[in-house]
Parts: sequence; C-alpha cells; structure tokens
Amino acid sequence: MSEMIELKLNEQPSKKRQYLLLGGIILAMLLWSLTAITFSAPDDGGAKIAGNIIKGILSPDMQLLWNFTSQGVFYLLFETICIAFLGTIFGAILSIPFAFLMAPSVVPKPVYLITRFLVVVIRTIPSLVYGLMFVRVSGPGPFAGVLTMSLTSIGMVSKLYVDVIEDIDRGILEAMDAMGCTTFEKIRFGIIPQLIANFSSITIYRFDMNLRDATILGLVGAGGIGSPLIFAMNSYRWHQVGSILIGLVVLILIVEAISNKLRAKLVNG
Amino acid sequence: MIKFENVSKIYPNGHVGLKNVDLQIEQGEFVAIIGLSGAGKSTLLRCVNKMHDISSGKLTVNGVNVTQLKGKEIRRFRSKIGMIFQSFNLITRTTVLGNVLVSLVPELSWWRRLLGVYPATAKIAGLKALDNVGILDKAYTRVDQLSGGQQQRVALARTLVGDPDIILADEPVAALDPVTAKIVMDDFQRINREMNISILLNIHHVDLAVAYADRIVGIRQGEIVFDGPTSAVTQEIIDEIYQGHGSSSIKGSLEPVAAEVVVDA
Amino acid sequence: MRKRTLTLPNGKVVTEQRSKVPLICAILLVFIIVAMRVTHFSFRTLATNGHQFFVILGAMFPPHLDFLNRVWQPLFDTIKMSFLGSLLGALVAVPLAVLSATNIVKSKLLSGFFKLVLSIMRTLPTIVMALIATFIFGLGTMAGTLAIFIFTVSYVGKLTYEQIESLDMGTFEALESLGLTRLQAFRYGIVPQILPTYLSTSLFSFEGNLRYAAILGYVGAGGLGIILNEQLGWRDYGNVGMILTVLIVTVGLIELISQTARQKLQ
Ligand SMILES: Nc1ncnc2c1ncn2[C@@H]1O[C@H](COP(=O)(O)OP(=O)(O)OP(=O)(O)O)[C@@H](O)[C@H]1O
Ligand SMILES: [Mg+2]
Repeated sequence: MSEMIELKLNEQPSKKRQYLLLGGIILAMLLWSLTAITFSAPDDGGAKIAGNIIKGILSPDMQLLWNFTSQGVFYLLFETICIAFLGTIFGAILSIPFAFLMAPSVVPKPVYLITRFLVVVIRTIPSLVYGLMFVRVSGPGPFAGVLTMSLTSIGMVSKLYVDVIEDIDRGILEAMDAMGCTTFEKIRFGIIPQLIANFSSITIYRFDMNLRDATILGLVGAGGIGSPLIFAMNSYRWHQVGSILIGLVVLILIVEAISNKLRAKLVNG
Repeated sequence: MIKFENVSKIYPNGHVGLKNVDLQIEQGEFVAIIGLSGAGKSTLLRCVNKMHDISSGKLTVNGVNVTQLKGKEIRRFRSKIGMIFQSFNLITRTTVLGNVLVSLVPELSWWRRLLGVYPATAKIAGLKALDNVGILDKAYTRVDQLSGGQQQRVALARTLVGDPDIILADEPVAALDPVTAKIVMDDFQRINREMNISILLNIHHVDLAVAYADRIVGIRQGEIVFDGPTSAVTQEIIDEIYQGHGSSSIKGSLEPVAAEVVVDA
Repeated sequence: MRKRTLTLPNGKVVTEQRSKVPLICAILLVFIIVAMRVTHFSFRTLATNGHQFFVILGAMFPPHLDFLNRVWQPLFDTIKMSFLGSLLGALVAVPLAVLSATNIVKSKLLSGFFKLVLSIMRTLPTIVMALIATFIFGLGTMAGTLAIFIFTVSYVGKLTYEQIESLDMGTFEALESLGLTRLQAFRYGIVPQILPTYLSTSLFSFEGNLRYAAILGYVGAGGLGIILNEQLGWRDYGNVGMILTVLIVTVGLIELISQTARQKLQ
C-alpha cells in the first residue's frame, strides 16, 4: 500500500531537473563563499568576552529600565515609536503615487519600468547613507530619523501596494458606469474602499519593520534607542545593553502581536 | 417603453453584434432574452443604457433618443436604468448598505461625495431596498462574507434604491445553484409585478426563462429570430433559436397556445 | 458608543452601526501631532533646509571610476557573507520550524518554546548581533555572516512553520496509518508540499540579506559597509557614489535572477 502512495507522489509533475540545477549552483556558490570566512576559533579572549556579554545582558540595569526621565528606557522607546510611526505614515503617503506609477494596469510600460528602477535604487541605498544626508537637513536627532524612515519605507511599501492595485476588481467600475457615476465617484466609491483595507494592513506591517530597523538610525545620530544602545555596547556596559534590549524585545513582541490582530481584522473583516 | 427601430451594432473590429433589430417593450414587461453564447444578448442589453453605442437605426427609451445623449445626460439617463451582472460587481471590503448606497452617490452634495457620508434619508431608502429583497439583517455585514445568492440580492437592492423604470440583468443567475437561482428569479418577478419595473433579462436556462418571463426574445447571430409571449414557446422554437434549423429532430413537448407567434428565420 | 436607530416606513427598526473611521482618524491625528512634537518634526525646516539633502547626493555624481578597483573585494565579501549566512540559516531553520509547528509536535510546551526562541531571535536587531559578534570573533566577515545567519534562521523559520501549520495533514496521517514512521511520513507527505515555498522564502531572504550585509560593515562586520563608512568619514562622496552604484547594480542583478528562479518554483 505505501508503495502505491509513494508512486502517486512520484507521479506529481517532477521538478527534478530544476532542483538539481539549483543544487549545483548552490554548491558552487557555497564553496566560493567559504573562501571569505576565516574560521579562526575564538581564542580565550573571545570566549571570556562572550561570557561577560551574556552575564551582563541577563542581569539588566534595573535603574535604567525603570527610569522615566528622558534618559530612561521608556522614553527612548517612546521616541523610537514616534520616529517609526511618523516615518511609516509619511512613507506610506509617499508610496501611493509611486505605486500607481509602478502599476502596469495604470500607466504605460516605459513609465512603470522607469519608476520601478527608481524605486529599486531608493530601496538599495543603505539607510545609513540617507541618515547622513538628512542629518545635514535637520541636524542630528529624531527628526533626521523620521525623514530617513519615510524614504526607506517607500521601497517595500510601494511594491506591495502595486499588487493590491493590480488586484482591484474592475467589475464594480462597469457597474458604476451603468449607474451613471463620474470618474471621481468611481475612484472615491469604487476603488478607494477596495484599496484602503489592504493599504492599511501593509502600512501596519511596515511600522513593525521600521520599529525593528530603527536601531540602525542610532549609528548616524538620527535619534531613537539605537544611539544609547550602540554607545553602551561600545563602552562594554553590558548591564545597560541588557536593559535596553529587554525593553526593545518586549516592545516589538507586543507591537507585533497587536499588529497581527489588527491586520487579520482589516483583511478578513 | 423601449423601442429598437432597425438597430444595428457593428463593433470596431467589424464584428456584427446586432443586425436590423426591431423590438418594442412596454413599461412593466418581463422579457427574457435567450440565445447561444455570442449571439448578441449582452450587446442588446448594453445598447439600452448606452454602455454600447449603436451603429445605425434608432433606439428610444421612455421617449428619449438614446443615440443623441452625451456626457452628463448619459449619466443622468443611466441612473434611471438598473443593471445587474453575472459576477455581481459589488465593492469588496464594503458593507452591504455601503454597496447599496453607492447608487445614490450621483445625487449627493459635493462634500458628502468627498467624505462618503450619507444622509439619514438615503440610509432609510437603502435599508428599505434591502428589506424588499429580504436581507435587511445583513445590512452591516461585509459583502465578501455573503453567499452568491445574497450578493446578487445586494446588487438587486442597489438598483432598486435608485428607483429605476427598467432593470437590465445580464445572466443574473448563471453563477448560482438551481435553488438559489429560483429565489433570485422570484425576487425579479415580485419586483416586476409590485413595482411595475420593466425587466430585460439574459438567461441561459430556458426552463427558468419560460417559468418566469411574460415574453421571450430569441437571438441568433445578432438577429431576432423569435419574439412572442412565453405561452407561444414550443420545443421547436427553442431548437430553432439554439440550432438554427426549424425542423428539429426532437419533437417538443410544448404546444403553441397563442396565435401571434413571430418566427422569422 | 451611542447607538442610533433608523425607522423604516414599514415600521421596522434598524440599529445603525456607526463607522469607526472618524474615531480612528482622530486617534491617528492626535498621535501624529504628539509624534511630531517628540521628534521635533518641522515642515518649515524641511522647506528651508531640504536642499541640503541634495548636496551630498549631487557630490556623488559622477562616481569616481578609479575607485572601482577597491570595491570588488568588499563587494565579493558582502555577497559571500550574505550567501553563506542565508544558506546555513535556511538549513538550520528547517528543524526549528518543524519543532515549532503545532500540527507535528504534539507538545504545546515544546512548540511554544521554539516559537518564542524564533520570535526573540527575530526581534534582536541584526546590527546589535553583528556588533556583539565583532566583540567575540573580531572584526571581519565572520561576524557579519553570523548576524545574517541568525536573522535568516528566525525569518525563514517563522514563515516555514506558519506554512507547515497551514498544511492539510491528511497525507501525513494517511502515511502514518500505513506504518511509516513520523519522519518518513514527513519526508513523503509534508516535504513535497512545502519545498517550493521554502526555497522561494529562502531566496527572498537572501535578496534582503544582501542589502542588509552592506550596512553591517559599518560596525566592522566586513563587506562593503567598511569602505562605505570609511569614504563617508572622509567625505569622499564620489567614491561613495561608486560604491552605491556597484551595490545597486549587484542587488538589481541578483534580484532579477532570484525573482526568475522564484517564479519558476511557484
Ligand atoms: N467589444 C467587442 N468588440 C468586438 N466584438 C465584440 C465585443 N463585445 C462582444 N463582441 C462580439 O459580439 C458577439 C456578441 O457578443 P455578446 O457579448 O452580446 O454575446 P452574448 O449573447 O451575451 O453571449 P454570452 O451568452 O456568452 O454572454 C460575440 O461574437 C462577441 O465576440
Ligand atoms: Mg453575455
């Protein structure tokens, strides 16, 4: 009996050759990549440092954690949320025109190809570079962080928006034509309601990601919890690192749980 | 009253959609249009509310010469003619009531249109229409959570709320199971009788057409090959409409009752 | 919220369900204003000072072509780092995903534990992992590879266990009832169903990691980030332009290849 099921499984359209080819490429690349990594076994120093780090992180600095001034973990987290929130909102707004200009069903081929290329460029430039550019505009601090996040959000958000736009049910436009609706009414009542739920869901998802990525901003002085975290790490204050990380991890887990609930509700009604 | 006078429709690619159609439908009639796929049923329906332009002939709807309408006039004209589609064509992710009220949008003031805020009178009209098709309790449910039959009734309520004189239905029950199809057809019949709305309905189920319509119009290759009261429809006529040769091998079970049967083929 | 009722002409009463949209808009607006205060956001600064953004951008053009020779090595390092990290990460993700899937592991405690581990791993910022790794393993690609490895394990692990949990378990049970061991049933009943998506997820994470790997050098974890940091520090924006051009072309090419491969897999 089991042979029969096995036979049936083997009868499925076989992708053997594709998998074989993929396997070959992966193996070749693996061998090539290994050349870059020097597996210098961590010397005593490394192991000891690792021990210290773990010990430090596991015994967090409670004073920093339960500190409610503008130097404490709570305020820093709040500032990070604000940066990620504003960055997401502005990024989402900026993404709307980009998304429409990237949609094959809306604009002609040359336009969407050019916009797509532009978005790939925007997406690929590391956020640190934007951070440095924006620090010149606004001076160091959270303002620069917001500007950076607005720009870095565009890449992913507009790409996901395009899928929603391409998915629009055009039947309703026909029905509204038959009702005698104007173009404005067709957009306002036929298209926007179809887009808004999925757009919001994507935006919430991006907020989640921005919150995670906000740490990087600290590297270039663009505000948020990143700077104190990296500063503490560079000066080997692992207890402080521990308290900041705990705050960050808990915050992100909570936000993720809430955002999953919200998104499920938005999409399924 | 809808009046086709020698109407032809030639698509831009040269395909003849309608050929010399003469047809007159009085207010309050329930007409089923039958014919093979590609015969021109949808084309006929879509000419009535100017979703398609006719190429020659004259088409008048309630005394209005349809050919001469333009821009804003077309939109105002269309708002008095309801249209129902096979695929329902509702706004997904929107409540039932929200879908029904869209019909009233052209009548709202500009700020209401912008914000999508409907006045209470509009909401009551919408709920009344929903009550009329028996799905009042679903008013605040999202349409994507309804069954196909319920969705088609939302579409029906959407046309009713605009207080139409005519409803054009393009295969409204093709996507529904037989039982649900009957329920929806019952709705059409009731609306036709109680509200004196003319109904033009394309349909592939000949049995449903015969059971519900007052009058049957048969189309073949863009031409009307049969036009008569339902009681006059025989198996031969149906074979004629669908196969194109009068002397069918299958002897029909239906016998002609009325005398005024028009068969021109 | 206050409930309003509407009365139909035929006497039926319907309780109106108010839309929550105005409330949500109000909350959002309040939070936007608060956030603008906290972050010192100012449209005026943006308007008067915005052109400064383009100063650096302008200085990047034209990119210094002669700098290209110094870009290749770090570029290859970046690719190798992200490739190795993604590959190993994707492999390690499989057992973790299986252990996290409630429909395969009967013990809720065990699957819950592995889910939590994956969650926390995903939450720890990659840049922090990279920095810690440089303290332990010294500066260089090893640290970057490790950080990418950890992120990939958590990312691919999560998506894969979600996919396993959404599977139809019929085949698995049928095979088990035939006397196959759980492992065998997994091999024949589950693997064929998840393999295409798993490979596609792994490729996708490789694309993303490539971008991320370019940043990691900033904390000394090897690759393009090191020279990027260096050139930015010296304000040699022509060279920065060159690095970015190379990065964009490479990422674009790899994305193209990987997207084609992913479409083939689906
Ligand atoms: N926009 C168009 N351009 C060119 N030809 C068209 C167009 N729309 C329809 N036709 C053609 O006109 C003919 C009649 O089409 P119509 O849609 O009216 O058929 P129908 O009777 O409704 O068929 P069905 O039962 O499949 O819906 C068909 O041969 C079709 O190919
Ligand atoms: Mg049709």
